[in-house]
Amino acid sequence: MYEFLHYQVRDAMTADPIAISPKAKLREVEALFESHDFNGVPVIDDQWRLHGILTKFDLLKAFSFDTHALVPHYDEIMEQTAEMIMTRNPVSVEPQLPLSRLLQKLVEMRTKSLPVVENGRLVGIIAREDVLKALRRAAIHHEIPAHEEPQP
Amino acid sequence: MTTLLYTHPTCLEHDTGFGHPECAARLTAILNVLKTVPFAALEWRDAPQATDEQLTRIHTPAHVERIFARIPKRGHYAIDGDTIVSPHSGKAALHAAGAVCAAVEAILNGEANNAFCAIRPPGHHAEPNQAMGFCLFNNAAIGAAHARAVGGLEQVAIIDFDVHHGNGVQAAFEHNPAYLYISTHQAYIYPGTGSREERGVGNIVNIPLMANSASADLRRAWQQDIEPALREFQPQLILISAGFDAHYLDPLAELNFNEDDYAWLTQQILTVAKDCCEGRVVSMLEGGYNLPALAASVAAHVKALMEAPRTAQRSLIKDILERQKAKRNA
Repeated sequence: MYEFLHYQVRDAMTADPIAISPKAKLREVEALFESHDFNGVPVIDDQWRLHGILTKFDLLKAFSFDTHALVPHYDEIMEQTAEMIMTRNPVSVEPQLPLSRLLQKLVEMRTKSLPVVENGRLVGIIAREDVLKALRRAAIHHEIPAHEEPQP
Repeated sequence: MTTLLYTHPTCLEHDTGFGHPECAARLTAILNVLKTVPFAALEWRDAPQATDEQLTRIHTPAHVERIFARIPKRGHYAIDGDTIVSPHSGKAALHAAGAVCAAVEAILNGEANNAFCAIRPPGHHAEPNQAMGFCLFNNAAIGAAHARAVGGLEQVAIIDFDVHHGNGVQAAFEHNPAYLYISTHQAYIYPGTGSREERGVGNIVNIPLMANSASADLRRAWQQDIEPALREFQPQLILISAGFDAHYLDPLAELNFNEDDYAWLTQQILTVAKDCCEGRVVSMLEGGYNLPALAASVAAHVKALMEAPRTAQRSLIKDILERQKAKRNA
């Protein structure tokens, strides 16, 4: 487990992640969620600057009760664009953040993933699964079982 | 004491399209319960169609014309995303509004203590010049105006416990102190009206409730807002816009009332009615979209109506006519 303390976000993140444009239709975003195991997807411009994050919760929120209809209308809502429902100014992390601190952040915020930003550009995304994988890797390769004598 | 039940088979023919929550099965579920033994004492009556005169006390002639112009010969027509009409919708809407008018007349005439109108389409969202939110004609407002027109009543109260605000009733009466409109509803959902600040000419009492409000919140609303307003107004007739979509199992909103709450609220209203207006109450169906919950809630509501505290049963209309005659002779 000590190994884990040396990991940084960049060691565990998904680099060059799939991202969408602010003008992407919710229909396309939904298809993306359907075909990939994403919790959310970063929203970027053509300079890879991060504008927001669109999560499955944001997508659900588009269907929650509001004042303009008794029943939400699927086709109408699916024609809306990402920028209409995304979470703006999302929390992001830097690639050099220790993974142990990233873990704390995820737990405290109860969030499933965070975008990774370097010099104002999106460079990756880090999710719960990535951290779990890093924990496992750190333990398997470097944990010394208690009953074994250390090798000379 | 008799409770009248007004309904009409045409109300089952108002087809809103596949899967629409405001469906004929709602009314079927209700009528099936009301046909069982505990409700044997109900006096069933066929609802007549509302007349143009009755409709245009609330709606513009253009609105009435437009509704019928939009009824398709076959298939469906969407007035808005929520409000769908089909070949029999116009007739159904006439019977719905007509039911309330007939019930009002019967109650004012002393034929029974109270009445329930098992009708659809519902009415409380329909504005004087705009159909919306599943509603074509404003059954409650039309009934209230009818009470004033035929019975010469000076104070008519409408209590609306549907989970959505009755923007149509409010729009019809917010400038007219002869009517008191009291509504409990969930805040920040459709249609977006119904804040406490909307007070009309002091005759509108809106009680928006936050999502997940339940029995205790309903009781608080009754004690703090509904009962005081009602008693101060001293209605001569109470109409109830009885929507049951504030039930905890309803799919269209997030309030958590149950059948017992509806029974309790109905009893409270009847107690005030007994004190103010010899028990005269006309209730009508608005929303409620979980069929078992709807049937159970209507059963609790109608049971309470049937068990209303006893009052002298006499004709108010006769009173008024006699008073007018005496005045003329004097």
